[in-house]
Amino acid sequence: MTRHSDPTQVQLTADGRLKHFLTTEGLSKELLTEILDLADSFISTQERAVKKVPLLRGKTVVNLFFENSTRTRSTFELAAKRLSADILNLDIASSATSKGETLMDTLWNLEAMYSDMFVVRHADSGAAHFIAEQVTPGVAIINAGDGRHAHPTQAMLDMLTIRRHKGSIEGKTVVIVGDILHSRVARSQIHALKTLGAKEIRVIGPATLVPKEMADLGANIYYDMEQGLAGADVVIMLRLQKERMSDALLPSEGEYFKLYGLTEEKLKLANKDAIVMHPGPINRGVEIDSAVADGEQSVILNQVSYGIAVRMAVMAMAMSGQASEQATQKNEENLSAEAQATGDDA
Amino acid sequence: MSNLTLTHAQLLDPSQKLKQLSDVIIENGLVTNITPVGESTSKGDKFDAHSALLIPGLIDLSAHISNVATETSAAAKGGISLVCTQPNSKPIIDTPADVSSIQQSSAAANNSQLLPLGALTQGLEGDQLANMHSLKQAGCIALSNARAPIKNALVLRRIMEYAATHDILIMLTAEDYDLSANGKMHEGPTANRLGLAGIAEVAETASLAQQLLLIELTGCRAHFSQISCGRSVEMIRSAQAQGLAISADVAIANLMFTDEDVNGFDSTFHVQPPLRSEQDRQTLLAGVNDGILAICSNHQPKDIAAKKAPFAAAEAGMSILDSWLSMMLTLVQKGELELEMLVNASAILPAKVLGINAGIQIGQAANLVIVDTTTETCYSAEKLISTGKNSPVLGETLVGEVKLTISGGREVFRA
Repeated sequence: MTRHSDPTQVQLTADGRLKHFLTTEGLSKELLTEILDLADSFISTQERAVKKVPLLRGKTVVNLFFENSTRTRSTFELAAKRLSADILNLDIASSATSKGETLMDTLWNLEAMYSDMFVVRHADSGAAHFIAEQVTPGVAIINAGDGRHAHPTQAMLDMLTIRRHKGSIEGKTVVIVGDILHSRVARSQIHALKTLGAKEIRVIGPATLVPKEMADLGANIYYDMEQGLAGADVVIMLRLQKERMSDALLPSEGEYFKLYGLTEEKLKLANKDAIVMHPGPINRGVEIDSAVADGEQSVILNQVSYGIAVRMAVMAMAMSGQASEQATQKNEENLSAEAQATGDDA
Repeated sequence: MSNLTLTHAQLLDPSQKLKQLSDVIIENGLVTNITPVGESTSKGDKFDAHSALLIPGLIDLSAHISNVATETSAAAKGGISLVCTQPNSKPIIDTPADVSSIQQSSAAANNSQLLPLGALTQGLEGDQLANMHSLKQAGCIALSNARAPIKNALVLRRIMEYAATHDILIMLTAEDYDLSANGKMHEGPTANRLGLAGIAEVAETASLAQQLLLIELTGCRAHFSQISCGRSVEMIRSAQAQGLAISADVAIANLMFTDEDVNGFDSTFHVQPPLRSEQDRQTLLAGVNDGILAICSNHQPKDIAAKKAPFAAAEAGMSILDSWLSMMLTLVQKGELELEMLVNASAILPAKVLGINAGIQIGQAANLVIVDTTTETCYSAEKLISTGKNSPVLGETLVGEVKLTISGGREVFRA
């Protein structure tokens, strides 16, 4: 019956360009590769003394964080600044919505400020998608994490990390370990890895944290970490939230670490040249041993610096997608106005 | 109502084994004659049905109505002659005074008949019994706790024992709220992909199993409202076969839509119970076609702000009354529902559940609807009478246009 806008297509212009960045799901290999290539080119500008490029000059970017996250917010802020945009940080978590203002009220207020882009983090899955459907045409939405649904910029910086350290994603065996159930990062990674041609995606954890439906997304489920690590090229560890114990999903941190914590010993089961990743912030001794986090195979700190380049890339692409869509619409309006005028004459 | 003769109506009433082109005579609100077309002398006004379908007026076992005048008017236009409204209105219907207040608004509105369902527990809080006997005396045809949880199995047992003592029909929902936790939609591949917390099938079936055992123990008359899982149909079927005095209904949404409709995070499809899998939908349809399940609207009009939010934050519910009959006719058109079973599930079975006269019978008050099943209706927010524009069929063109609705012997709608 009623079929509403496909969440994966809302983010594209009619000619398939990125205009919002809401999810990695449904994006083509070409588009994901374009993001990675552009991010790669920004990495070289980041190593220069003058780091700014003028792609977003005169544009206003609003960081709309309904959930606190200093780190993600700072990298978006830095990315916007390096693109020469003006940036406004709004800490909604502690202001408007707690006074009973609805999300729609907040949005209308912000639109009145003529912003060009919202970077949104929200606790509800689908929030960024909802905002993208509500905002005035021309305003780009970048999803900085919505509930358990998606965290596409994190996933893309992870793809960039894999590509830079392993040469490519194609043919690689990637394992994701930990709290898959609550992880928007894992979902976005799985979609991107699948599209970019990973050989095998494995998710590892206890059944309380690994929904069996993950198989429908194309991941193989392992409950035994030793088995899951065998032959892995990339090991991605997820952060374990303390609430999981009180929610009766796990007995204790100790038992979790024993079964699913990454130690040097366990890492030996993966391929020799495997890399270790983590979206951060890490819980040392809970999901990962310090020796591994700081070890030779760890690329955790590289991930952080690639994060800025990836965010620059998607912001630049979305803004340019919006501009081209606006131009196309204006053209069409002009054409139809002309047609109208000619029609009247005839 | 003055006398009225309906002519050339394609009468279909499986309860009376009626299926022919007929004339129906109504005098002073009572059906006085039913004959093959042209065989009776007409009385009073004539209404030529032009071979449109004439069926018993629909009976909705579960709606949520606060604006009585508007919503009963939507019901009248929708071909519904009787609507039961759940007690979770403002104020909650848990005293005889609340019941009489609704009865008065309904009488004043003079639209389709509205029957208030009284609360099973005080304030619907699930721990203390409401004055169940007084509510029955005040005119509640049945009592329900809406979908509010009952504190524990012991309170539930007491409710059932007390209901059995006074022969009160109770309407129950099957949901273990610990198991459904903060779930927002059916637990399955779509919920996992969208990152929305799921409500597992077992949240319904575990609760249903427990309640069936308690019904067996207490011997009360019970009806299960809005079951959503295929497995529940089988449990109801075998409990009935065992001889339990139980019945059940399914919301039209669960017969038309599945969890996949939530793709796109469309908050219109945020409902309780949740839309489940295609397999569940098929089994529920089979339950209706087998005569096991009634169909209810589960009408929940919401204002725009309540739905304009991310999926999880939006309120659950769909506005249905305006389009209920058209939605069911669409299932008939698709070959998923037999027309006779549509009538059975939305008019005959509900009457039997409530213990009132079923179908179109000589000597009884007329409750009927004439619907043109060939004309299409396009649903738009402006066209809906209900205050709730949260309809799942906005922008859709569905078959069926109601021509005439008679409720309790009163003409309440004519196109």
